[in-house]
Amino acid sequence: MKRIYVCNDEVTGLLSALYDAWRTVVVDGMPECGIRFRGCIEQEFFCEYTEVEESEKKAGAVERLILKNLGWYAYKLIYQASLSTDPLKGDAILGTMLEARRIADSRRIMDHLGNAQVEKVFELSRNVGDEVHRWLQFLRFGELENGIMFARFEPKNRVLTCVAPHFADRFCLENWMIYDETYQEYVVHEAGKQWVLVSGGELNEELAGAFSDRERAFRELWHKFTESIAIEDRKNPGCQMGHLPLWYRKNMVEFMPM
Amino acid sequence: MQERRATGRMRITEDMSVMDKLEVLTDAAKYDVACTSSGTDRANDGSGIGNCVKAGLCHSFAADGRCISLLKILFTNECIFDCKYCVNRRSNDVLRASFTPDEVCELTMEFYRRNYIEGLFLSSGVIQSPDYTMELIYAALYKLRNERRFQGYIHVKAIPGASLELVQRVGFLADRMSVNLEFATADGLKRLAPHKTRKNILAPMRMVQNVAAENRYEVQSYRNAPRFVPAGQSTQMIIGAAPESDYQILHVAESLYKQFDLKRVFYSAFIHLNEDRELPARTGEGPPLLREHRLYQADWLLRYYHFEAKEILSEEDPNFNVLFDPKCNWALRHLEAFPVEVNRAGYEMLLRVPGLGYRSAQRIVRARRIGKLDFTDLKKMGVVLKRAMYFLTCNGKMMYPTKLDEDYIARNLLNTGEKLPEGADGMTYRQMSLFDDVRFGGGISEKNLCV
Repeated sequence: MKRIYVCNDEVTGLLSALYDAWRTVVVDGMPECGIRFRGCIEQEFFCEYTEVEESEKKAGAVERLILKNLGWYAYKLIYQASLSTDPLKGDAILGTMLEARRIADSRRIMDHLGNAQVEKVFELSRNVGDEVHRWLQFLRFGELENGIMFARFEPKNRVLTCVAPHFADRFCLENWMIYDETYQEYVVHEAGKQWVLVSGGELNEELAGAFSDRERAFRELWHKFTESIAIEDRKNPGCQMGHLPLWYRKNMVEFMPM
Repeated sequence: MQERRATGRMRITEDMSVMDKLEVLTDAAKYDVACTSSGTDRANDGSGIGNCVKAGLCHSFAADGRCISLLKILFTNECIFDCKYCVNRRSNDVLRASFTPDEVCELTMEFYRRNYIEGLFLSSGVIQSPDYTMELIYAALYKLRNERRFQGYIHVKAIPGASLELVQRVGFLADRMSVNLEFATADGLKRLAPHKTRKNILAPMRMVQNVAAENRYEVQSYRNAPRFVPAGQSTQMIIGAAPESDYQILHVAESLYKQFDLKRVFYSAFIHLNEDRELPARTGEGPPLLREHRLYQADWLLRYYHFEAKEILSEEDPNFNVLFDPKCNWALRHLEAFPVEVNRAGYEMLLRVPGLGYRSAQRIVRARRIGKLDFTDLKKMGVVLKRAMYFLTCNGKMMYPTKLDEDYIARNLLNTGEKLPEGADGMTYRQMSLFDDVRFGGGISEKNLCV
């Protein structure tokens, strides 16, 4: 009977599930194990479903295991893959970790793209990495009346924690906040301090919509700039769409009606 | 006469709002193609705003599909030069405007903190004299870097004819510097840009190269030595305004890369803005975008694929093939080098296979250390075989029975259809066709092509 661990779709949950699954396969010698997430399980026959007891301790142990045996590069890819929306990402990561035991140099695991699970982790991490990169480009801040720079976005994957460090370095002397509308999480950064992740709590739409007068002026300037920088003779909306798909444009100043 | 006209223009600029100036000076700057923010990695030092990312970031895309990475503006369009192709030439009756250094700083800072831009691209028409213009640019950059503590990306144009000392000072404030070569031949320059000379363009280029080389040594010896154009220098050529062959252009580009250590050469399809007897007649076909596209493809072959200009084109065959990209074209003429065995061929040979990008080649080289590869493995790895399959063997076998015959392969390649950038024969500044990598959805973070 295949055992399937069920956990929350969060980093700690997934890592705890990996901890249990790893023990089941490597220590107890069970041939197969799976990981599914609460809320998106398709029941299968001949499987037993076990709830995972999530803890930071388990998560930390798995992190150390990956860092020590697979190296920093693989860790980064696995972390990115774990932020993906794919419901089978847990299986792919577990499969990759198990495959690494079979090859001579486990730090080379991410080159072993012939293996379906490794390839899947690679693909997921590329997908998440691309989205992170695009949000670094397309996220837009606006100055609120109280002077705080506020940005909101609707990512597909849970990329907020990958996006935040970039802005924490770039705008280290600013007070800013990013709101992830898909997963209802915030990153808050106070000038000169570390950023913090806050989940839960509702957004005060009134405060978040109250932009300063200067903000309006600069939005208009930016609008004007993006209009006049385009060359009429080379107009090419298809090309623009390819680089900047419509779903990214929702909160971008230059595509809002003025 | 000039004097009076210039003062007349000055009066117009005095009561212009920043909004109007921005419109005029953006419009005037848009024909410069370089809008890259790549080439340097710099973390914030905690004293100001901004950092730089090696791969560069494109913050938006304009209606023409070109990326908007930097605030691309002219400092002024009050120009004393009379370059035939340029919209700001002194003989054109257009609205003139000038920024002040403070306005440039304010716009840059406020756009930057909203994450609209990656930095500033500052070019300029020549106001009064090249030296005077360069001083104004210096003043703007000095304020931005030292008073506003801006640590983002700055790309600045060196004005041909400005004193080298001024150019050098500006270089210590900028990340990338460029002097536009404009035309591949000295003759073209003389005819179409009578106030510029080859010497005035190449002298600052050589100076930037030498100072940058010295600076690399200084930075190694003294950790806190100021950086001189850390992202290197680039240049731009106009395509289709002077009667130059593709071979001449590519040849010049190659020597610029080799002899002047340039990071990039940009090609800009000529856009008809002025009526002038020195310029080619208006044809109604629009700018030569396919030619520009082929030049970028060939440029990539020079920089990343170990090709030389004389392999791609020659005196006898000086222009690009309309139907095939330069790499396909080379392969078809050198069928004796194919097929290439995936499991044994050297990296450089893999790079020469049509349809294989350098990412795919790197992945093949890494993956074959772990096990033998066949065509299914290649597909899994994201290698696109549409064109490559005519030139590859895996373990001695081709994917399908294939005749190594020029006509046969050419016909089949034509059937696959080259993916030209969107639009009829349009192009973009991030050409995708050499990097077909559909399996993993692009991977833009790793291969941002604006480098």
